[in-house]
Amino acid sequence: MSTADLRDTDAEGWVCVTCGTALERRSVDITYMASVFKVELPRCPKCGFTLIPPELALGRMLEAEKILEDK
Amino acid sequence: MEQGLLHDFEARCTQEEAPSCQSMCPLHVEVRPFVKFMAEGNFPEARKILDRLMPLSGVLGFLCDGPCTAHCRRNTVDGAVNLPMLERACAELSAFVKPMSMPGSGRKAAVVGSGLSGLSAAFELAKKGYEITLFHAGAPGGRLLSLPTKQLPRNALPDALEMLERLRVTFAELPVFSSGRLESALADFPAVYVGLDDEAVQSSEYGTALLEGGLPDPLTLAARGTDVFAGGLPADAGPSFILEAADGKKGAASVDRVVKGVPAASAREKEAVYLSTLYTDVSSAAGNPAVIPADPAAPTAAEAVAEAGRCLQCRCLECVKHCPYLARYKGYPKRYAREFYNNLSIVHGQRKANTQINSCAECGLCAVLCPYDADMGAFCADVRREMVRDKRMPPRHHEFALQDMEFSNSAEVAFFRLEPGRSECGWAFFPGCQVPASRPEQTEAAYAHLRHALPGGVGFFFSCCGAPARWSGRPALTASTAAALREQWTINGKPVLIVACSSCLAFFQAELPGIPARSLWETLAEFPLPDAAGPAGRTLALHDPCTARHAAPMQENVRKLLAAVGQEVEELALSGKQTRCCGYGGLAAYADRETGDLYSLSRAGDTRNTLLSYCVVCRDRLRAAGKPSLHLFDLLFPREDAGQAALRPPPGISARQETRLSFRRSLLQRLWHEPPVRNPLMDEILLRIDDAVAEKMEMRRILRDDVKAVLLYAGEHGAMFSNAASGRSLACLRPRQVTFWVEYSREEDGPYRIHDAYCHRMVVPGVPGEGAPSPCTVEGYAVKGGRM
Repeated sequence: MSTADLRDTDAEGWVCVTCGTALERRSVDITYMASVFKVELPRCPKCGFTLIPPELALGRMLEAEKILEDK
Repeated sequence: MEQGLLHDFEARCTQEEAPSCQSMCPLHVEVRPFVKFMAEGNFPEARKILDRLMPLSGVLGFLCDGPCTAHCRRNTVDGAVNLPMLERACAELSAFVKPMSMPGSGRKAAVVGSGLSGLSAAFELAKKGYEITLFHAGAPGGRLLSLPTKQLPRNALPDALEMLERLRVTFAELPVFSSGRLESALADFPAVYVGLDDEAVQSSEYGTALLEGGLPDPLTLAARGTDVFAGGLPADAGPSFILEAADGKKGAASVDRVVKGVPAASAREKEAVYLSTLYTDVSSAAGNPAVIPADPAAPTAAEAVAEAGRCLQCRCLECVKHCPYLARYKGYPKRYAREFYNNLSIVHGQRKANTQINSCAECGLCAVLCPYDADMGAFCADVRREMVRDKRMPPRHHEFALQDMEFSNSAEVAFFRLEPGRSECGWAFFPGCQVPASRPEQTEAAYAHLRHALPGGVGFFFSCCGAPARWSGRPALTASTAAALREQWTINGKPVLIVACSSCLAFFQAELPGIPARSLWETLAEFPLPDAAGPAGRTLALHDPCTARHAAPMQENVRKLLAAVGQEVEELALSGKQTRCCGYGGLAAYADRETGDLYSLSRAGDTRNTLLSYCVVCRDRLRAAGKPSLHLFDLLFPREDAGQAALRPPPGISARQETRLSFRRSLLQRLWHEPPVRNPLMDEILLRIDDAVAEKMEMRRILRDDVKAVLLYAGEHGAMFSNAASGRSLACLRPRQVTFWVEYSREEDGPYRIHDAYCHRMVVPGVPGEGAPSPCTVEGYAVKGGRM
């Protein structure tokens, strides 16, 4: 398992509509091309619905995807 | 990849070959860098290049007879570059730098004769740390002693002899080279070089005896046994100083091998002169006549610089000059092929060439321009297939194109119908997937025209040909796509296909040779033009698509049509067989948008006129590069707004797919009276997307249908986040290997306002679509997927 610094994700003000709950930072295992990353992400504490903000998806996540694809 | 394939390709690309001046120089002096420094007036650096391979440049620099000049490419322009003059100037204007001699190795060898070849042999061996004893009769120098000072400056020889002494060369004078005395003197040495250019040696008893057994072996200069080497004999054309020096150097190498116990003859072929295969086009070289020095014996610095400036610095780069992709990576095919081969072999670590491999347009221009037919595209195609086979193909490069192909071949889009009212057809119109996506009305008009012109019925076959599968290196997918086409063609009575797209036609010819297929343009040229056809009212520069490169009849028929329309045409310098790619070929623009843009921008820059293509992808990409551009349909089947056609913006990826859907729907409804089939929910969702967000979606390859699927799923399952402060919602869906996120709000009158749409490929637990049942399998979500 690798760890990646994918933090600094701002999810201020978002609420899970299904549970009516505010999101909390939780450690989540995200995976790609047989690699696993432990990342702290805003997540609904009740149902686990996890939010990926645009700056994360288009920034460090994209970078990591490209590196893994060329491995 | 088998090494043989790499070697075959490498052998075709001659860019790394030495220029002929160097290959034909007995010493293989690196002429290009030498002359380049001379042209810059940097004589010390030029001297270093000379010294690297030329023994005793302080002497030979004045005496070289320049056999290279006969092979200079400038001969066919306005006369060879005068290398002997440049060497003379260099020797005169720069100081000799004493070579770094190896510390004494304890090895010994002998040289007999003090002509230029003997002195050269002594110099080469002394540099390697040998203790050399040079036997000579009379003052050392041989023929050099008799040269006028105009030819060899007074100090040149004494300086060279002094330098040799500093390199631990011992000059041993023997009054006469009698066999017996010399033999006993040489008995102490493991090997000897005999310089026969020294008259005192050649005419001596020893020299005569040496040649009794025949001339020395040309490869090693072995003259007797395994330890005596000899050279410096005059060539047929007479004595030559550079050949004497080259013999001395070659003999020294043989001596060195014998002393070290290495076979003297192995792997020495490259020491001889040879004709280089390096191709250099001199057709565009500007005239620049030879410089005649005021005093040929002492050329000035300015004269030398001017003469050196005439050097063409011979290189091939025929392909690189005209291909923005090959130029972008600052190399040439041979180097790239090695890098790609190595990229395939990487087990751990980054495969840094992946993007480069996938951004070649495989357009074939390099192979046409190359004098030896090196085809970078064909090589890339081999590499891509291997990457796919080994599961090393980065998913992002081709996924969008393949999913777009899947969409075009889905039941939602593709169809084959016989001409309305007929039970069999001798023909079928195959417009491809891109022509209807960009020119739907004109596709329909062309179909009507064909039905009118051709007896025997014309069916309609709407499908993607499968070119993306082929370009992306997927033979299995290519074969299954081709098989599906064949099946449809067979079911519908095996008609002759009339193909509007040159890429499709090339695909049919390569993958489905049993299906009779011909170009739409060939067919149209056989009949009277449509009534509405007419010229554009200005000269158009004709751009042949790269997939029509080898389709000469198609090119001719297009020109025939243009002549019939009365269109004034500019033929581009690179056209026909030598045409350029727009950047779509080989899916280059999908793998690397920037390289794709370089292709289209280079083509757009080839003319000031509006471009005209008969490939709609070319037309749209050239228009996207800012160039007013037309498709041949705009002249043959003009719309009402024909005057604006050249400026019409190209449709984006969503619009293309939506147009394919609506084209199918309206054609089936109008001609075959069939009702539409598509999940009506998708069409009920209304989107409001401003230009900035639409552009982001285009760049990220997110379709409007992707957005709709996210909204549809979120609406049905309530899976979304909301933000009270902004009043917006955020929902996501992972229908395939990509997760789409949409930030949106609801407008008062119903439509969704899209504020942002983005995507990622990493898998995050807790995202809808992970795990079964995947919503993408639900009939009607119709998500084609896309990505960055």
